[in-house]
This record gives sequence, C-alpha cells and structure tokens, in this order.
Amino acid sequence: MTWTIARKEIVSNLLSYKFFIVILLTAILIFTSFFIMHRDYKQRLTDYSLIKPKPIEPIAVIPPNPLSIFSKGLEELMTRSFEINVIQITARSGMKSGNLLFSYFPVPDFLYIVRVVLSLVALLFGFDQVSREKERGTLKLMLSNSLSRSKTLVGKWIGNYLSLSIPFLLITLLGIVFLNLDPDIHLSSAHMVRLALILFFSLIYIGFFLSLGILISTLTKRAAASIVILLFIWAILVFIIPNLGTLLARQMVDVPSVKALSEKRQQTWTKEVLLGEEDRRKGESSWDTRYKNIYSEMDKKEEDFRNKFNSLVKLSKNINRISPVASFVYAVTDIAGTGIGEESSLKMAVVSYRNSIFSDVISALRSRVKKEYPAFAYRHRPLSQIFAEGALFDTAWLVFFNILFFALSYFAFVKYDVR
Amino acid sequence: MSGEKMLTTIIKKELLNNIFSFRFLFVFVLLVIIVTVTVLILTDDYLRRVDEYSLRQNDIENYMRRYAHFNRVNAVIAPSQPPLPFNSLIRKISPDDYVIENVFGEFNSDPLPIMFPLIDLTFIVTILLSLIALLFSYDSICGEKEDGTLKLMLSNKLSRARIILGKIIGGTLTLIIPFLLSLTIGLLIIQFNPRISWSEANWRAFGLILLGSILYFSFFYCLGVFISSRHRSSSSSIMTSLFVWVILILLIPNLSPYLASFLSPAPSKIKVERDIERITMDERDELMRKMWREKQAELYKLYSILDENKNLTQEEQKRKAAEDAAYRKAYQILSEQFKIIVSEANRIQQDKISGMRTELSRKEESQMLLSLGISMISPLADFTYLATDLSSTGLRNMIHFQRITGEWRRLFGDYSEKKRDAIEKENPAIDSWNVAVDMSDRPRFQYKEEALAGRFKWTLPSFAVLIVYNLIFFLTAFFSFIKYDVR
Repeated sequence: MTWTIARKEIVSNLLSYKFFIVILLTAILIFTSFFIMHRDYKQRLTDYSLIKPKPIEPIAVIPPNPLSIFSKGLEELMTRSFEINVIQITARSGMKSGNLLFSYFPVPDFLYIVRVVLSLVALLFGFDQVSREKERGTLKLMLSNSLSRSKTLVGKWIGNYLSLSIPFLLITLLGIVFLNLDPDIHLSSAHMVRLALILFFSLIYIGFFLSLGILISTLTKRAAASIVILLFIWAILVFIIPNLGTLLARQMVDVPSVKALSEKRQQTWTKEVLLGEEDRRKGESSWDTRYKNIYSEMDKKEEDFRNKFNSLVKLSKNINRISPVASFVYAVTDIAGTGIGEESSLKMAVVSYRNSIFSDVISALRSRVKKEYPAFAYRHRPLSQIFAEGALFDTAWLVFFNILFFALSYFAFVKYDVR
Repeated sequence: MSGEKMLTTIIKKELLNNIFSFRFLFVFVLLVIIVTVTVLILTDDYLRRVDEYSLRQNDIENYMRRYAHFNRVNAVIAPSQPPLPFNSLIRKISPDDYVIENVFGEFNSDPLPIMFPLIDLTFIVTILLSLIALLFSYDSICGEKEDGTLKLMLSNKLSRARIILGKIIGGTLTLIIPFLLSLTIGLLIIQFNPRISWSEANWRAFGLILLGSILYFSFFYCLGVFISSRHRSSSSSIMTSLFVWVILILLIPNLSPYLASFLSPAPSKIKVERDIERITMDERDELMRKMWREKQAELYKLYSILDENKNLTQEEQKRKAAEDAAYRKAYQILSEQFKIIVSEANRIQQDKISGMRTELSRKEESQMLLSLGISMISPLADFTYLATDLSSTGLRNMIHFQRITGEWRRLFGDYSEKKRDAIEKENPAIDSWNVAVDMSDRPRFQYKEEALAGRFKWTLPSFAVLIVYNLIFFLTAFFSFIKYDVR
C-alpha cells in the first residue's frame, strides 16, 4: 500500500509544473556550477604550475584539490604560497585576491547549490503535501479507505523523496561524467569515495528538509501559510543561525584579530633589529640573541593565537550546529579536504616545515649562498581522521535531525484533523 | 465614486487585507526578532572591535615612543581602518583584511567568515525582504481569480488600471510597514547605546539606503504581481516566482566574478609578486654591487688617498675621515657617489616593477569592473553595492582608503626625509636609518570617511538600475493585468 501511494506521488509529481520548474532549476544550477568551478579549478592548476617552487626556494605550496570543484571551502586560503623567510612565513594569495568582488558573494559551488537551493526545493516538495490534499478533499477520501495514516505518510515521504532525489542524482552524476571527460581532472578512486560520501550527505540533507516541509504542512491549515513559515525557517536555518553564531562565539572567546597579531609581529622584529643595530654600533654583536628573541616571542604569540582560535572554532561550530545546515557544511567541507580542520592541519604542516629548514634559511641568508631545500609535501587527512575529528558527529547529528523531524511529522499527521 | 477615491479605496483594501492576514503578522514578528538580534550582535561586535582598535593604536604609540626608527617604521605604523559607527548595521569588506593579505602576506588567517559570511542589514533586505515581497505578491492576481473576487471587482465600474495601481501601491506600503518598524527598533538599540553616536552624514546615508531598500522591494513586488498575472493558479505562480528569485538572487551575483575572471583574466598574482620581490632585493643588490665596483675603480684612480680603504673597515674609515682633512674630502665624494648609486639602482629596479605593478592592477581593475557590470544585472548586487558604498564598507571605501593612505604616505615621506637630513646634519657619521628617533611630531594617519556626495555619486548607477527595473516591471505587470483573463 505504501508503494501505491509512493507511486501515485511520483506520477503526480512528474506531471506537475512544480516538478518541471524544480528540475529545470536544479539542472541549470548544477551544470553552471560545475562548468564555472571546473574552469576555476583549471585556472588554479595553471597558476600552480607557474608558482611551483624551485629547490632553491624555501616555499610551501600545495597543488589545488580537485574536490574543490564541488566544495571550494577554504581552498583559496590553502593554495596560497607560503614563503619561509627569516622574519615570518609570508603567505601570498592567488589571483582571486585582486578582484574584491569575490569576497562579496558566496562561491557558487555544488555545496552551495545543495545547501541553499536544494534545501529550498525540498521544502517546495513538502510544503503542501498535507494541507493541499486537505484543501482539495482528497485526504478525506484516502483515509476513508482502509489505509493507515502511517502508511500514507511514509508513502508520501518516499514518493516525494524519490521524485526529488533521483533527478538530482542523475543530474549530478551526469555533471561528474562530463567533468571526467577532461583529462586534466584526475579524480582518483579515493576522490570518488569522498565524492560518494558528499552525495550521500546531500541526500540526507535533502531528506531533512523534506520532513520539515511535511511537518509544517501538517501543522498549518493552508498551503499559503505553510510556505511563508517554511521560507522563514529556511532562511533562519540556512543563513541566520550559522552566520550569527560565528559572531556570537567571537564575543565569548577573546581572540585577537589577525590584524593585531600582524601588527605585533611587525613591532617585535623591528624592535629587535633596531636593538641589534645599536649593539653593533657599540661594537658587540647580539644578532643571535636578537633573532632568538624574535622567534621565541613570535612563536609564543602565534601559538597562543592558534590555541585561542581553535577554541573559537570549536565554540562557533557547536553554536552553529543548532542548525543542521552547519553540520552539513562542516561534514562536506571536511570530507572534500577544504574545511577548517584541514586548513589548520595544513598550517601546522607548514610551521613544522619551516622549523625543519629554518636553520638552513638563516645560514643561507648570512652566507649569501643559495641552498637547496627539501620539497614541501602535504597529505590530506585520511577519512578515518576526518570522521574521528568531527565528521562522525556531524553525520550522527544530521541523521538525528532527519529521524527527529520525520517522527515529528509522523505524530503530527497521526493527530491531524482531516476535516 | 471618483477615480481617485476608487484608487485609495483599493489601496486601503489591500493594506487592510494584508495587515490582518496571518502572513503579515508572522513576517512582522520574525522581522522584528531577526533585526533586533542582528543589531544586538553586530553592535556588540562593533564595540569589541572599537576596544581592540584603541588597544592596538596604544601599542603602536608605546612602540613609537621607544623604538621609532626610519628603516622599518612603515611596517609598524601602517594605516588601519577604524571601525565605523555604521558597522552595527552594515559590514561588508574592510581595507584591513585586504592590507593584511597583500602587504604583509599574513600567514594566519581567519577562515570563519569564508565558511559563513557575516549577516547584516544588507542580508535582511536582499534575501529576506525580497522573499517577503514575493510571498505577498505571488497570489495577488491569480489568488483573487481563484477566489472569484477578481470577477466581482471588475464587474463594477472599476478600471483595470486602477486595480493594478492600487494593488502595487497598497502591497508595497504593507511591506514598508514591518520593515520600517523593525528597523526603528534596531535604530533605537543603536542610538540608546551611549558609546555610539551617528553623525548627520550617517543619517543622510541611512536615508539613502532606506530609499534604495524601498526601491529594491517594490521591484520584487512588481515582479511578483507580473508573474502572478501571467499564471492561472497561485501554486504555479509561487514556483515561477521562486525560480526567478533563485536565479536573480542566488546565482547571478555569485557567478559574476568567476565569469569575469574567465573573460578578462589577470596574471598570476603570486608569480608577479615573487618576481617583484626578486627584482627589488637580489637583483637590485647585484646591480648595485656592479655599479659600485665600477664607480669605486674610477674614484680610486682619481683619489689615490682612497687606496687605503681596501684595508679599512667602515668604522675605521669614518674615524679616519674625522681626523684627516684630505682624506675627508675624498671620503665625502665617495660616500656621495655611493648614495647616488644606491638611488640610481633603486630607481632602475623601481621602474621595472612599477611597469609590472601597473599592468597587474590594470588587468585586475578591468576584471573587477567587468564583474561589477555583470553582477549589476541582479538587483541584489545593485542594492548591496549601494548600501555598502553609502555606509563606507564597500568597494568605494577601499579606493578611498587607498587614496588617503597614499596622501599620508607622501606626507610621512616628506617628514622622514626632512627629519633624516636634520639628524645627518647634526652628526654626519650617524646611520640615520637605523637609529632611534623621536617621532612624536610625525604626521599621523587619520581616517576620514569620504564625503557623502562622493559616495552617493558612485552609487548612482545602482540606483539607476533599480529604478529602471521598477519601471520595466511595473509596466509589464500593468499590461499583463490589462490583458488578464479573469474567468
């Protein structure tokens, strides 16, 4: 019986104007996004081939990550060139930094499309499931047969979920096939596994919004009211909570701004160099202690900054997770290797690279002889570590939300007054 | 009933109809909550940044009192953008982030805003109000048709033109009410904070932003009415509305910088900067050494007394110059020549890099203008630009900031030259670059917002696009309603 209802839902969806619009929209967005992000990735590849360091340059650069086509995240920060010199690690940013408009609007990657648009689409599938049938009177008819309410609801859920997720999956897979036609894109099997996980998360995410839509639909009398409420909930979950949560966390954890840290660094090293010059004039050389002072002071400050920043990240993550959207974003960016965790692990790797070659950099500066340095190599965190460091929680959290909202809509429907 | 009276009756009916509806109440309550929470959090954040800014300035003052010296002072007193009182409503981009990235190449970064960009008034207007406008208008025509009231209305002696005019005016007015009320609460929160005071220019800018937001959502209202008058049923009308909304709001602005970067690519910035660094450091030093060797050989031939130099350290040379008059003359010529060579080598290399820099910034600028142009198709981008530029948190302020820091740098350059000359006059043997100097009389960088007239002029294109959109969609809504089949 459940399947009959599911089939009925699918067929009635397939013929509807809503379905046409929604699929058109999904197709336009996903194909444009793949096209744009693919070209963007190729631009970064060319850029990388230009800036790849020579052995005599103590520079750490990692190649662009092909999964950034789907979830760009912090890729732009991670593919900066980290140049190690005696004062600091200088990070130069790529060509995107020249055009300020990149920082005006969010990146239109796959993650963004799913996070913002597909959630909206899922709501559109759910918003009138119950109230519309009640308005038309078909709900009464349906329930007057020997058909349990739970079966009706499950059937509705499955039918709508399939009619949304199957076209979505097909479009996405088609897009991925097109991407694979480009010989420059090397998606290894490990990448494919990650991609499959990202798709899996997207499907859970869509399911949550569908359940939410059905829930609100059973709680309201009219479809027009249901859509207003849903769009607001959508805006709050997708935009407001995660964005304000970050700011809220900032007020609770006292982290100096990057600017303050940068100014402190300038003050520290210029001061020590001046004192060194004064000592030199007096005829005594104190460079070694001066340099040591610079590094010890700066390393202490940076470590302090990083510790505080990590606790800020942790807090803001936890606040933002009130909204399952944040969990989804964290999980997907982490799996794609473009998330906050990956970025900080890259930074740690760059710092230890600096420490390992630092004495050589100093002696090269003193003797004015070029040295050869070992190349910087970075391996993205393996999936097991990613899951252990938060993605597992996010998965569980998303699944929990899914079950919770499905259960809520179930109870609401069981008690629904069909008159 | 006269025509005008009829019109006001319809406007009144629309207003009352909306105000007593469930969706109005819901929207109103939520807007008030969202605006209040946003303003509270942004205000707190603003105050926190004000405190941090003054702490940072204090640190710089303390440093300058003891360790100010000309060689590296530019890195220490690099200008910084102070937080603006308007930041408790609007915050977009700040020159500080840009300076950190590009000038200091800061290793540490703040990835949080990249994951979840900040929310401010521009978000509330561009995303929420446009949605609300569509939610209020998607069934304004086809909904009444479905209810059958449209037929009834038109069976009276009532022209269609009046109905549509009344609907659009009444509908836009109902949108303005919750927006203005919630904004008033936000403004009260800001104004009652003793630490924030708005200048008159702030209020004027605010007024203009308000005008922009009214234009923005009246456009969406007209769009909704237009779509509604193209549909037979309200359930399909909402689909089309949301489709258009997603394309206009969530797609076009985000695509624009990428499209522009493909159409008008800029060279690899990292590569250019590395080349520049090589040219100004290693290559310059090499050039200098080469020029100096040639000059030295020439001078040693002219002044044989200098031959001893080869065995003397710099300190011994200086001492000798103080004792021996004949040597002093030759030594002075030598050191003058050295200065000339240094500045000559610097000049040659600077010419080289300034060419590269202008080329890079020309390409970046043309790319930025192109993406600006593409994105202005979207009303979201138009409103974002006008709101951020009027509140000095946008692109215009970046340009302004660059200009005033340039002016300040020139002032400081003159100051440091004069000061160093004075120091060298006092003691010719001193290294005026690397000695602690009292710089308490230095010209200090003071940020001043650009005059409102200049900011407003810059945002005129955005206003113009919004007005044109309003006209177009008002007219299309008007004409498609005239032709609407009410059966």
